[in-house]
Amino acid sequence: MAIGWLSRLAAATPPPVFAAVGPGLLPATERLLARPTLRRCGSPREAAILLVAGTIPEPAGAALDRVHDQLPHPRASFDWDGGGDAEAAIGALWRGLLGGGASEPDRLPDEPPNSWRGEGDHGQGGEGMMGGVPYGRPMAMTGDDLRDGLSLDLYTARIGPFAPMLPPGLQLSATLQGDLVVTAAVARPPFEQPAEADAPEACAARLLRLLGLGGDADRLLRGGRPRGLGALAAIPTGLAADAQGGDARARLRAWLGGEMVDVVCPDPGDLLVGLEWHEATLALASFPPSALRRATQAAEAA
Amino acid sequence: MSATLPLLVLLTLAAGAWLAAWLDRLIATGRIEPLAPLRVGAALLLRQRVTTEAPDAMNWRLAPAWYLALAAVGLSVVPFAPGAALIDSPVGIVVWGSCEALTVVTVFLHGWSPNAPFPLIGAYRYAAIGLPVMLPSMFVLIAAALPAESLSLVAVVESQREAWNLVRQPLGLPLFLLVGLTLTLRGPFDYADGEDLAGGTSAEDSGPGRALWQLARLAMLVAFSAMAAAVFLGGPLGPWLPGPVWLWLKTAGIMALTVAAGHWLARTTPGRMLTLLWVGLLPLSFLHLAIAGALAL
Repeated sequence: MAIGWLSRLAAATPPPVFAAVGPGLLPATERLLARPTLRRCGSPREAAILLVAGTIPEPAGAALDRVHDQLPHPRASFDWDGGGDAEAAIGALWRGLLGGGASEPDRLPDEPPNSWRGEGDHGQGGEGMMGGVPYGRPMAMTGDDLRDGLSLDLYTARIGPFAPMLPPGLQLSATLQGDLVVTAAVARPPFEQPAEADAPEACAARLLRLLGLGGDADRLLRGGRPRGLGALAAIPTGLAADAQGGDARARLRAWLGGEMVDVVCPDPGDLLVGLEWHEATLALASFPPSALRRATQAAEAA
Repeated sequence: MSATLPLLVLLTLAAGAWLAAWLDRLIATGRIEPLAPLRVGAALLLRQRVTTEAPDAMNWRLAPAWYLALAAVGLSVVPFAPGAALIDSPVGIVVWGSCEALTVVTVFLHGWSPNAPFPLIGAYRYAAIGLPVMLPSMFVLIAAALPAESLSLVAVVESQREAWNLVRQPLGLPLFLLVGLTLTLRGPFDYADGEDLAGGTSAEDSGPGRALWQLARLAMLVAFSAMAAAVFLGGPLGPWLPGPVWLWLKTAGIMALTVAAGHWLARTTPGRMLTLLWVGLLPLSFLHLAIAGALAL
């Protein structure tokens, strides 16, 4: 009884969607999720619908399954090729779930990603109570801080390919100390996207979202003007400098003015070391997706 | 009056949380949907509460409850009518100050307990930002207590019969708004739950647990707004209308201002914000206190 009442109340909310974006569909997905009738989720835990946009290349298949299994029940996934009325289809899926429709089961077995490979009395690995990779899970280990030499915890992890703060497809192997990037290497480059993904409003929207102006990002994607204050001032000067003498702030200024930006992105590994994580995500989003992809491919080839 | 005070506090928290969620949606989307907060809450209650591997389960469950309790305790020292607060403490400002400090601990626990990297980074970031924000808060509140010569909020309200503290100490409310944005994890001061961390301390929250945390955030916004209304806008003082109505109106005004600032101001990187806080805002708040002290002499 109470559940039926709650379901009816909830059915009118925009469906909470987490997007796993494949090659070619970044601009279409961004425009779709900017609509007020869908709710873009920053974490799979918040979502009920997993939007799988495009064909996900096989190396990222296991990561997609892991993201899928992180959605709480009841959940459904929606494979989208960029056509049709995706909004209506997602809405129907959401109402179906609330109406007692079947929830998708886990795709992966609920067990650790790796077998137990440890050292020490309890197989924990590392030294003493720290470090090691028990069951394939990296544990923190102390190391020197890049900035002041203090010995603090280092944590190495692979982030991506569907991490919402990184370009789709990009998988970083990064060592973090707190939120300072100590080492970074590109494990997989971002997926190829159409030229539309480099459009000024799309590029500006990605940066505005990382600056906490999600409403403005959606307005830009719907063809409106941003209303927020302080976006340019919020980006540190000199962040992510390019060979032409520009920086992240200058590129955002150009994008907000409706200009295309054509720059060469430095090797992302070098670009990110020494930045805080927030700065690192801003630095990556401050290059057009095509420039970032070229830079990661060049780094891979080297 | 005293018998109805517990009810007034609960009613203000509940209705205020709904109003805050509604304002949030109105300012974000421009849509007038009074039922939207209840609908979103219902959608969350129907979802599974997922847990992570080896979390600190007790603190994960307790963090939203602490946050709600701190909002309720903070609101309980605010006078709803001249001379009438649920807890008429002679050190009401200190009680509120401890709620602020414990909020930092609560948000830290919320990020610590899921045993996951992004929530943990959000937790440490918030603790780093929280400390230098709490210091200006204390200076600003002590400055507001000087004309009253008391740390009691009832006395602070009484001291504003001639002129509101907003007029006597114009820097106070803007500085206190920064504290409000921090306490309620909003906009330019939301260093706990940023987009660069996939939701930070809330990244692993789902279902009813997420609903409760979001409700607690809104309740803290109500408590903060009522406190700001009492300290800077004379709280329940005003002509014609009863005291509680004046307090509600002023609280709603502060709430709208805080929600709008949260949506319209960009958030800079944590390192730059720390510099801004320690080098800019902390000396400014001390100067504010020194001026208020000189005027009170």
